[in-house]
Amino acid sequence: MNASPDLKSINSLLRILAKDYFIFAPQKNGDIVKIAEIKNTDDIDWLGQMPEKPWKDIFLPAKEQIFDLNNGIKESKKQYPKIAAVGMNVLDLKALALFDQVFGSDTYYLRRRNNTLTVGYSADWPIDYKKFKVFSHTYEEDILEHLSFDVFLAKLKNGKLKIYSGSEKGQNILEASGIKDYKHIEFAGPIPEAGTDKRVLALKEKVWQSANNKLWEELGKQCLACGKCSIVCPTCFCFDFKDNSDPSNNSRQRCWGNCFYNDFSLVAGGNKELDTVKKKIYFWYVHKFVRIPKEYGLPGCVSCGRCSRTCPVGIDIAKNIQRVIKNK
Amino acid sequence: MLNLYQPQPVKIIGSSQESADTKLLRLQFVDKKLQSDFSFLPGQFVQVGLPEWGECPISICSSTYYSKRYFELAIRNVGALTNKLNSLSEGAIVYIRGPYGNGFDVEKFRDLPLLLIGGGCGFVPLRSLVIDYIEERLPNSVLKIFYGCKDENTLLFKKEYAKWNRQAELNIVLEKPSKQWAGAKGMITDLLSSKKITVNSIAVLVGPPIMYRFVIKELKKKGIKDENIYLSLERKMYCGLGVCQHCAIGPYYVCKDGPVFRYQDIKNLQNAI
Repeated sequence: MNASPDLKSINSLLRILAKDYFIFAPQKNGDIVKIAEIKNTDDIDWLGQMPEKPWKDIFLPAKEQIFDLNNGIKESKKQYPKIAAVGMNVLDLKALALFDQVFGSDTYYLRRRNNTLTVGYSADWPIDYKKFKVFSHTYEEDILEHLSFDVFLAKLKNGKLKIYSGSEKGQNILEASGIKDYKHIEFAGPIPEAGTDKRVLALKEKVWQSANNKLWEELGKQCLACGKCSIVCPTCFCFDFKDNSDPSNNSRQRCWGNCFYNDFSLVAGGNKELDTVKKKIYFWYVHKFVRIPKEYGLPGCVSCGRCSRTCPVGIDIAKNIQRVIKNK
Repeated sequence: MLNLYQPQPVKIIGSSQESADTKLLRLQFVDKKLQSDFSFLPGQFVQVGLPEWGECPISICSSTYYSKRYFELAIRNVGALTNKLNSLSEGAIVYIRGPYGNGFDVEKFRDLPLLLIGGGCGFVPLRSLVIDYIEERLPNSVLKIFYGCKDENTLLFKKEYAKWNRQAELNIVLEKPSKQWAGAKGMITDLLSSKKITVNSIAVLVGPPIMYRFVIKELKKKGIKDENIYLSLERKMYCGLGVCQHCAIGPYYVCKDGPVFRYQDIKNLQNAI
């Protein structure tokens, strides 16, 4: 069994959740931690290791039917599963806060999102996090009020658990679980009162001014354009629409896109905007560090480090960002 | 709640072959209320599609004057969907959503001489401005049209030239015309350099990126300011709402912040033109 902070209270919570929800949580699988539906609450990993993949497919599936094409173009009516996402760390909750902004008026996203319940958890900062000094900050309650969660479990230095609710849904589930000792945190929107983090804004300018930095040339030679960084990135959300002409189920699907793939910018006639690896990787960084902060006032990178860990040729986002900051 | 991606059925109420590979489709919403509520700005586009064939962005090319009754799209056969659309007959149903994009902010052009410069099939969205001017919906005193094409067979909207030329100045140049062609021959820049252009003119350009580079150089020679040059960009897009990322250039989305940009705002962007 993993070292759980206050098993008794967590177990009562999980029991109540299991009545209405499919519970997804991090689970240890060899050296890695995977997010999967849990069969047994003892399988949940409470050590706080960064899961290999993000939670995004729970909120934005890799492939989702959006229209039924059998008779015209009709919105697909579908029951969305009730999912409890248990053990989301602060960085993944930040990514979710961004998704809530990006897809705030998207019918399909909202239906799915409204059927989920999030239980955040912090053990300590994820192991790699301290090395990643781009957005280093201390964990305080003022971070929690800018995260959209229903319940948050914070493991304190003394091993005790501090429990928070972040919504009425969260309060109800805590009450139903017999948990009385919790604090309610009112969601204050994703952006801090003082405005967008100044480092995020400074970095936005740096990345934008870096178009001629030889870094992009070097990365263009190094990067395989395999797109794995984008797949494991909790904030990568681009998508394609694809019509499926399967006689039994004609449908329009929304599928994850990938700016490293050749068809991403390919137009009829054969022209392709992103026709070199250098352009593709720069496009990826500009999305994260320029466009997202510009549009949403939030960082487009939550510094989870998944891309660097996944990259088959060892491209390290933290090092690259340091180079951009130092103009090297 | 409103589904942002829900297309609406429109009926093809007219169709004419404009060139070997381009058709002009006149479309009307099946739902009469949607048609009477429909409005757009010249330069805006719609996502047009068919079940099982997907969607693609096409600029509206009719006048805003007729928007309560119908709108028109000139569609060139460049891929599976456009070929399919052009194979349809009058009465067929296609699906659209939009209009999307910023379009040309004609109020900014008020009282200034207007130059419309189009290359090849890029001329399509400029037709909205031409007809709006003729219908006295544009606040400009002078309209000069410059249209460069490969040959007679690729020229669009030929039937309308006589009318255009009565109220505006229409200049056509062909790169490889037949022997019968009595008009100007060469590139659009040749045509521009031979004409007198008022320095405070507003220039609106639509065409391939290569045309932009040469035409802008020519316009600058004539003293036209970067802030008075507008151009429309073409990119791959799915959502039309600035989310899916396919049409992003630097900090902008062609579908939302464009497709019309001031040259001044994009001249330093890598890969924009």
